[in-house]
Amino acid sequence: MEFFIQFLIAAVGMGTPLLFATLGGVIGERAGVINLGMEGLMLVGALVAFVVMLNTGNYFYAVAAAAIASGIVSMIHGVVCLMLRASQIASGLALTFFGTGLSGFFGDKLTGTTIEPLIRIPIPGLNAIPVLGPVLFNQDILVYFSYFCVVLLWWMLFKTRLGLNIRSVGEAPEVCDSLGLSVLGYRFFAVVGGGMMIGIGGAYFPLALTPFWVDGITAGRGWIAVALVIFAFWDPIKALGGAYLFGIALALELRLQILGVDISPYFLKMIPYVLTILVLTLVTIRHNRLGIQVMPAALGNVFFRGEKN
Amino acid sequence: MRFFLEKRVNTSSWGRVLVLSVAFLLVLFISWFFFLAAGIEPITAFQIVGEEIFLTKYGWQDLLVKMTPLMFTGLAVALAAQMRQWNIGAEGQFHIGTVAMTWFALHYDGKLPDGMLIVMLLIMAMIGGGLWGCIPGFLKARFGVNEIITSLLFNYIAAAWVDHLLFGAWRDPGTNNFPITKEFSEAAQLPLYGNTSIHAGLILAFIVVVIIAWVLWKTRLGFQIRLIGDNPDAARYAGVKIRTLTILVFAASGAIAGLAGFSEVAGIHYRLQQNISIGYGYTGIIVAWLARNHPLGVVLSAFFMSIVFVSAEVLQIEYGLPISVVYLYQGIILFTVLGSEIFTEYRLRITSIWLKQRLTKTGN
Repeated sequence: MEFFIQFLIAAVGMGTPLLFATLGGVIGERAGVINLGMEGLMLVGALVAFVVMLNTGNYFYAVAAAAIASGIVSMIHGVVCLMLRASQIASGLALTFFGTGLSGFFGDKLTGTTIEPLIRIPIPGLNAIPVLGPVLFNQDILVYFSYFCVVLLWWMLFKTRLGLNIRSVGEAPEVCDSLGLSVLGYRFFAVVGGGMMIGIGGAYFPLALTPFWVDGITAGRGWIAVALVIFAFWDPIKALGGAYLFGIALALELRLQILGVDISPYFLKMIPYVLTILVLTLVTIRHNRLGIQVMPAALGNVFFRGEKN
Repeated sequence: MRFFLEKRVNTSSWGRVLVLSVAFLLVLFISWFFFLAAGIEPITAFQIVGEEIFLTKYGWQDLLVKMTPLMFTGLAVALAAQMRQWNIGAEGQFHIGTVAMTWFALHYDGKLPDGMLIVMLLIMAMIGGGLWGCIPGFLKARFGVNEIITSLLFNYIAAAWVDHLLFGAWRDPGTNNFPITKEFSEAAQLPLYGNTSIHAGLILAFIVVVIIAWVLWKTRLGFQIRLIGDNPDAARYAGVKIRTLTILVFAASGAIAGLAGFSEVAGIHYRLQQNISIGYGYTGIIVAWLARNHPLGVVLSAFFMSIVFVSAEVLQIEYGLPISVVYLYQGIILFTVLGSEIFTEYRLRITSIWLKQRLTKTGN
């Protein structure tokens, strides 16, 4: 039982960066902008958080700096694919290249340095609930912040005017434009806001999961998050479930190794990626069968005004 | 004063050259800051890189050697992109190509007549890469699964598989437990050009360029592929078998990426080891984009990206900069080209109400 609880605690930890990144992706895609640069943004967030933590020793500064840096980098994506009307897919890939290069370039000299990881703070009362208590309420502060973000984002997207506008520019930008909403303005806001969330997801790697610097610290999780956005039906609450499901898969990899299961560790490493492909396929089949349009209708479309083709 | 974009009637080809030149200058300008950030004197750095690449014999050789895999992966991405499919998985297809050929070499090296082995290795690499490319292609064609995400994730699976083999069954016990296989015999090696490191893979790459260009523009199949890319609905009405072609194109794309693996292993390393691809598969995306998915353009852009790779190598040797500086450059290049492409199709107009009023007044 104790082993099982430890396993779930690890699963929540592994799922948290995915959750932040998925939430960030959800905001952007709800506004109609695909972000394939998540992997790059997470790496930028991870590097900046690590460097700031190393120099100030303050977790708040580290997370804030990671969010701001990723926000700034995602502005490039915003400018290129919104104002300069380039392909969102190509721009996202450029973002991944850029972020990977940036973290590799400036992180090179940091390889091997360590920082103090975040400590777990139990929430009194709640952590006494059997199983769920220790799993969900004996975590570090960023995990609690991720719960808050899920609720905040859900409320923002579905209960406020701002959220309605964001969702509208992702569904019918022409209509929004004719009603006087700034389509590019809302999209830019969503891209940068989402980028900040993705950066916090990246920051979680050095601050909690691996408190030392390795090149490519995110190991492709950004791409899993890209798939999770689809898996979560562009819904923050479902993103929570999806992220933890993948957290379980990632934690399984580690636990099986500890248990000494006779499988090549390299095959265990494949689990999350294989699972992502399987789940994405199943979800796509389900979307097709139901024939429902959950995807934001204008996702990936270039919007511009004043031209008739 | 207002800025707005006005659509050009004709996209000017001079405009495109201008845009690319501006993008190139922008890359130099941005790297200036990165050099400063790394504590390097920018002008000296540019000078050293330029001299090392263009003024030494080794530099030219290296450009052509690095250009070879980039031509293959660029073609792989470009072919899929001709029917508007993104194959981001060239890196993985490259790796599985090397795995397939290494499997064959480890089993049949020395057991085949002269000249047979190298041909079989080539075929095996194509089959390996092709099958690996088929999977995302099939998932896309049959179920409509987003091929960008699946083809990319297969890269991670392929990399883990290579590690599994290198740290396990295929490790050569004779080499101090390094994760490398036994060296292949001479029958499995591509001939070199004279006294250089340039190998026959480059010729193979040019042959594939011609074949792909011929298929795309001179055959019915190629016409159908381009039709799907231009207008999938029209293709469907015309009775083109989109699903079959999607799988076929992904298989072909993967096979070409597998050839990149073949040419690297048979032309340079002569064995399977880690880091045979230093991101060649990913760079293929940029090569294809710069070439606008045209096979002949791929030759030029592969050469251009090869300059980037060799520059990074020089910077690594001279200044100890990490090789990931390649990705940084690639990101900057792709961003600048993407960001400036709009100006080949649009004209930036600046209007001023004040000016307009004045003009109308003087007109009266």
